[in-house]
Amino acid sequence: MEQRLKIFVQVVKILLGILVIQCINLQVFHFSYYRRLSEQNCIRTIDLGIPRGKIFDRNGRILAEDKTCFHLVYVPYDLKEPETVASVLSSILGLDRRELLKELEKKSTNPFERRILKRDLTQSEIAAISEYAFKLPGVFVQAGLDRQYTLGTGACHLLGYTGEVSQEELDLLKDEGIKPGHYIGKYGIEKQYDQLLRGKSGGYQIEVDARGHQRRILKEISMVPGNNIILTIDQTIQEACINALGNREGAIIAMDPRNGEVLALVSNPSFEPLNVAKYLMSPYNRNNPFLNRAIAGQYAPGSIFKIITEIAALETGEIGEHDRIECTGSMEVGDRIFHCWKEEGHGWIDINQALPFSCNIFFGTVGMKLGVDKILEYAKLFDLGKPTGIDLPGERSGNLPSSEEAGGAINIAIGQGAISVTPVQLCTMISAVANGGNLWKPFVVKKIVAPDGKIIKEFQPSLKKTIFISDETLTILKRGLRNVVKFGTGAGANVPGIEIAGKTGTAQIAQKELGLPTRGAFACYAPADSPSIAMVVVLDEASSGQAARIAGSIIKRVFTSEETVSETTISETEQTQTLPSGSQGFE
Amino acid sequence: MENPNNPCRILMVVTGVLTAIGLLLLFSASKSIASVSGSLPVYVKQLIWIIIGILMFLWLKDFDYRHWNKLAHLLYFVILIFLLIVLAIGTGRAGRWIKIGWFNFQPSEFAKFILVIVLARYFSIRDIERFSTILGGVIITGIPFLLILLQPNLGTALLFIIIFFSMAYLAGAKKKHLLILIIIGVLMSPLLWMGLKDYQKQRLIIFLNPWKDPLGKGYNILQSKITIGSGGIIGKGFLKGTQTKLAFLPEFHTDFIFCLLAEEFGLVGVFVLLFLYYVFLSQIHRITLTTQDPFGRLAGTGIMVMFLTQIFVNIGMACGILPVAGIPLPFLSYGGSALIVCFICLATVYNLGKNTALF
Repeated sequence: MEQRLKIFVQVVKILLGILVIQCINLQVFHFSYYRRLSEQNCIRTIDLGIPRGKIFDRNGRILAEDKTCFHLVYVPYDLKEPETVASVLSSILGLDRRELLKELEKKSTNPFERRILKRDLTQSEIAAISEYAFKLPGVFVQAGLDRQYTLGTGACHLLGYTGEVSQEELDLLKDEGIKPGHYIGKYGIEKQYDQLLRGKSGGYQIEVDARGHQRRILKEISMVPGNNIILTIDQTIQEACINALGNREGAIIAMDPRNGEVLALVSNPSFEPLNVAKYLMSPYNRNNPFLNRAIAGQYAPGSIFKIITEIAALETGEIGEHDRIECTGSMEVGDRIFHCWKEEGHGWIDINQALPFSCNIFFGTVGMKLGVDKILEYAKLFDLGKPTGIDLPGERSGNLPSSEEAGGAINIAIGQGAISVTPVQLCTMISAVANGGNLWKPFVVKKIVAPDGKIIKEFQPSLKKTIFISDETLTILKRGLRNVVKFGTGAGANVPGIEIAGKTGTAQIAQKELGLPTRGAFACYAPADSPSIAMVVVLDEASSGQAARIAGSIIKRVFTSEETVSETTISETEQTQTLPSGSQGFE
Repeated sequence: MENPNNPCRILMVVTGVLTAIGLLLLFSASKSIASVSGSLPVYVKQLIWIIIGILMFLWLKDFDYRHWNKLAHLLYFVILIFLLIVLAIGTGRAGRWIKIGWFNFQPSEFAKFILVIVLARYFSIRDIERFSTILGGVIITGIPFLLILLQPNLGTALLFIIIFFSMAYLAGAKKKHLLILIIIGVLMSPLLWMGLKDYQKQRLIIFLNPWKDPLGKGYNILQSKITIGSGGIIGKGFLKGTQTKLAFLPEFHTDFIFCLLAEEFGLVGVFVLLFLYYVFLSQIHRITLTTQDPFGRLAGTGIMVMFLTQIFVNIGMACGILPVAGIPLPFLSYGGSALIVCFICLATVYNLGKNTALF
């Protein structure tokens, strides 16, 4: 040990000697080379950003992709006269001169790094900038990428948007090669599958001349494309939903009841995914455009909930198929009076008439027989009050009240009071009715595919549970739902040739005390005998009849050919819009 | 005992000069355009840390080094808890810190010193010639090593391996045993590699070959070399460095402080600094050699290895001959935790020297 310790001092000498030799190498032998590089400050890096994969619909139609474009960039260090540059640029770009100057003079940690001043320049802007290049030292036009969304605002809640990484996100993502200025997914699918969509950034290390212009490339690193995502969404149905909803506030979600694949998801008001900043400010931020109402809007289910009450009543045997109850238009319970929506009453009716006409007195009475707990038990079977687990960020769970909070059996039996649900929950519920009791987990991403075509991940339908509903109950319920559309409250959804079954709900929103308007909703599936689509339409300020008409028009679009569709659109336009016909047509 | 060649006195004088150089460089760094306005300049903050460090030294210099032997278990346990906490809630660069008020407490710095103490105790009471003793040492080192690796702080984690091997070797371990360990390590590395996630692999590749990332680390290294090289023999002069002022590198006041010195004071400055470090290390070596007590001797050895490795890795990184490791330069780099640990080490060596002299 003595010996080993003694030679340690030799190790110290050798290691420090190596450092001295390297410093002599750098500071004496390569002095002039490094001094020149240092004096000219001529090394720059150009980061071209992170490419992202494409997003396709189920039939391979592109919903989102990168497009090559040109960004206006500047290097703070090379910007000798920011004043002049700001005034020249303000006249070319039509931006405020002072704002530009403020941006150009912003303090930076690395003054040699290119920073983007304006994304996606137009051809004429590029031409003007190159014409005035002599007045713009330190300003460059640089090829880059920008996102492009085929459906524009129509799929904004579904696909989301991308934006510059924030400081907090940077701390989390540093290990994944994200640098300041990079764009990452901020919302929707872009966020949920950000890591898989993102490729790797590319760029150059260059040597520049005194004016900051590239002299030669020292190092080059090529971009690696990201993975592509194939959705369960059907662009045709999505477009039909967008057009049918128009600019009403509300949400539509459509799903395949056989496996949980989401076919369309629309929420209004929407935002422009490429101009998100605008929607953070008044008046565009009115009514929360960033709320995805289809998965995060919480509504009282209203009469749609009568489906649960009916299942509970028939399954427990509290009421038989032909048991009649008299509706006089109102009923007294304790010191309170409940009204049916039909003032003069429905008279003596059984369950076969009660559902199509959505009689409150009938279902209220049945609810009292069942008791709050029994009704809530059946609501729980359908996982109401729990997030469905859809693969989109920001889903809310709605609220299934405790028996104390429920506000009495009558209230809960007709879907009012403290209960609230999201459209996607209603959609899984109506799907479970349509398919005989299977509660599927809704999902929007089918496959993730590498750029070389290799499948990275394939999502299989996931059955959450099978709810036992007897065949007798199902037969009665399904016949009732079909009759809702045939001659009941949902007759607006009646489309000749297509058997649609559904249930309307005038969903007074949870805080009706606040004097907010009622909301119309319609949950349905088609064709009634072998359902291949389930859909929920919720409108913020309209009747359930209107919701039914919209659902009908979309389903007609799904099951019929192109020609008949434009007819529907025109008639729909006549009904609800003042736009000239044709301006809203499908393309 | 008051002879001018007393290694403890030389050690203190050298340390004083080193911290003064550090302050001077940080003053220069504070003139950089990238320095954050608003908060206190780094050199003032560093001065506060130096004062705290000196107080720490004065308090610990009469603290019998053998007490560390008794405290070893407790300290080891406490630092493991802190390393776990840092993994759970760590903030800052690569999540290495715990924010306590205005102090960014960095447990991995303290872990270096504690590892030295624990290994010194362990190797001094066990039979170093047995392979089981070596394996026990591997476990002692392995636990904090893994926790730091997960932060992820590859540089400091590798420092632990170097400390372990050097201490085992200098404690008298059989070369055969150490060789077996190295072979096992090499054979196991493909397994480890397969267990890594893609981005972790990417990190490791860039760590070993920064040119794979010419826009990030590779750019930093090129700028670091330009900074050192452009200093020439006599340097650009105090406060006249252009590279460092323009903030080509993000961490001039911490990991790349050597560049500042090399740019403004040139090769002459580099010589002076390396000479000071040489004197510093050789005095620790002298004190260690004269210590008879096995624990004290191993503790001194460990501290010496720790300082030497940090100096070599930090400067080697700045010169572009070693990967960018994020290891501070002793007594020079800005940073409270690192500085305090340096002063604790110094106090331990001082006490070692004093006790030895008394025997």
